[in-house]
Amino acid sequence: MAPPDRLERVTDLLLVLLDTGRPLSLREIAQRVPGYPEGHDARRQAFERDKKLLRDEGVPVATEAIEGDDQIGYRVDPDAYYLPELGLDPDEQAALNLAVAGVHLGEPTGREALSKLGLGGRWPRRGAPLPVVDLPLVDGLPALPALFDAVRRRAVVSFVYRGEERSVDVAGIRFRGGHWYAVGWDRDRDQARTFRVDRFEGPPVAGEPGSASVPPGFDPEEVFGRDPWHFGTGAAAEVDVAVDAAESPRVVTELGQGAVVARESDGSVVVRLVVTDVDALVSWVLDLLDHAEVLRPPEVRDAVIARLGSIIAAGADR
Amino acid sequence: MSPSNDTATRLRRLLAILTWLAQEGEAPIDEAAARFDLTPEALVTELEMAACYGVPPYSPDELLEIIVTDDTVSTRTGTALARPRRLSPREGLALAAAVRALLAVPGSDVDGALSRALVKLERALGDPSVEVELDTPELLETVRSALDSRERLAIAYYSASTDQTGERTIVPRHLFASEGHWYVDAWCESAEGVRRFRVDRIASAVPTGPAGPDALADGLASPTPTGRAGSPGAAAPVVGAFVPGPDSRRVRVAVEPGMVWLLESIPSAVAVDPGARRPVWEVFVGGDAWLERLLLRLGPDAEVLDPIEDRRLAPEAAVRILGRYR
Repeated sequence: MAPPDRLERVTDLLLVLLDTGRPLSLREIAQRVPGYPEGHDARRQAFERDKKLLRDEGVPVATEAIEGDDQIGYRVDPDAYYLPELGLDPDEQAALNLAVAGVHLGEPTGREALSKLGLGGRWPRRGAPLPVVDLPLVDGLPALPALFDAVRRRAVVSFVYRGEERSVDVAGIRFRGGHWYAVGWDRDRDQARTFRVDRFEGPPVAGEPGSASVPPGFDPEEVFGRDPWHFGTGAAAEVDVAVDAAESPRVVTELGQGAVVARESDGSVVVRLVVTDVDALVSWVLDLLDHAEVLRPPEVRDAVIARLGSIIAAGADR
Repeated sequence: MSPSNDTATRLRRLLAILTWLAQEGEAPIDEAAARFDLTPEALVTELEMAACYGVPPYSPDELLEIIVTDDTVSTRTGTALARPRRLSPREGLALAAAVRALLAVPGSDVDGALSRALVKLERALGDPSVEVELDTPELLETVRSALDSRERLAIAYYSASTDQTGERTIVPRHLFASEGHWYVDAWCESAEGVRRFRVDRIASAVPTGPAGPDALADGLASPTPTGRAGSPGAAAPVVGAFVPGPDSRRVRVAVEPGMVWLLESIPSAVAVDPGARRPVWEVFVGGDAWLERLLLRLGPDAEVLDPIEDRRLAPEAAVRILGRYR
């Protein structure tokens, strides 16, 4: 009989490790799984390769201390390996597949996740192609999966951001305007904060599961809902900005219909913003060039005029 | 391919097949083979081999139950290799984000199946609190319905890089969201070519009847820009937002250290001399108006180093805007 191929050996190893109630030594494993070489070193080497393969495939092979000569035992905890049955109906399965097909994430694609749920392989194509959504994900954002994991484990996260060490109870991760953000409670500053994930300096380090404690009443939607001109510590002022027809579609898309206080027949609008950071607002208004004008209050108008004057003066000096 | 990769690929595929098959109960061999990109022979060989796996006292009957008949394959739910497995953080994030992103597309979940799937998925993942927001421009539905019914649209479009609003007739061919904004690639009748438009910059859109065959023909060249679309110089993967145009150029600026964050938010911006008293950066500019916006936001201390001609832009724009305040 031909020696078992490596897939058989690895599969048998997985079955044995899943089935054992206690950690097994390599000697015990080799007694149960056919196909390991005789010599001690060769056997160890072959086993280490198989263990690495399983771990690379996401199998949680645990290493535990055991009694006896071998000292180290191995097992796979079924609770750590299996997902509780999701109970997805066929239309829900199809919907998940459509989401993975229509959203371009880069790596990982979401296909591996579907395979693990029993929704793998190629799906029969039905109907018109969906609009495609391009969503930059883990490519270039190694912090993102770690944050995702910290949120579901309720673990406090430490990371360096703008050159400073932060300790944050992360309440959620959000995608907006082409960027991923972490929303949470900054322990050192004792304040709700939003962090852009692509500005993390180095990987976040998660604490123990359950170590995060977001203050009562903390609402990530409310924190994240703030526009830049909301982040200031100044007194809140209502600012009216007129935006002409060229820029009004984009501005209304950005701010939502709720911000519109007047709509003219020429397509221009007046939007009302609650502002605590006048500099941030001036920057936002100038991004609209001469398509926008601050109508009131006078002190915010003056801030725009002053900024423009300083730019003209600086240009004259060069 | 190294033997190790080969075994890993086969193991992954075997588990994917068995987990799927357990949900189906039984499947025609042809269907199962096509689904997993195997020939029927290869599928049968792989499953027949796997049916013999398992070692005493863990007998195949107990752990694996794979039955291959002349034209069907089947397995039983709950066997060791056929149960759904936990997702890694990367996989869980990818799936949750994909679902959230599609839910953010208006009209994508009319029967509610995706929302129901998400509830079950998030419960299993431990409630990870992932949200995805996409723009919902007022005219998105109009563009989408023209795409579905292959209609022409007369639009008024504001180009941010040239700072001009123009009238065109377009035939939408591909609608997508990138970097949080919606874009449509469309046949443009006046330009006689495919152009890319940002949907939230379309000021008005009126359907004007069915499109001709030319406008829908496949194999036309990639879009050329109608001005700045998205961020300058962004890499163009499957669907990149930015297409470089004739006015595109590299511009070097020196800025206040406190304004570096603004440059960092621009994908194409590169630090040339970050350690200088005033850090020097290079940005890829799509047009004059785009550079004006950037310079005005960078403030009076920002200075264009190269090309010198671009120095006039910020003061000129400032004078123009001041005109509105007099």
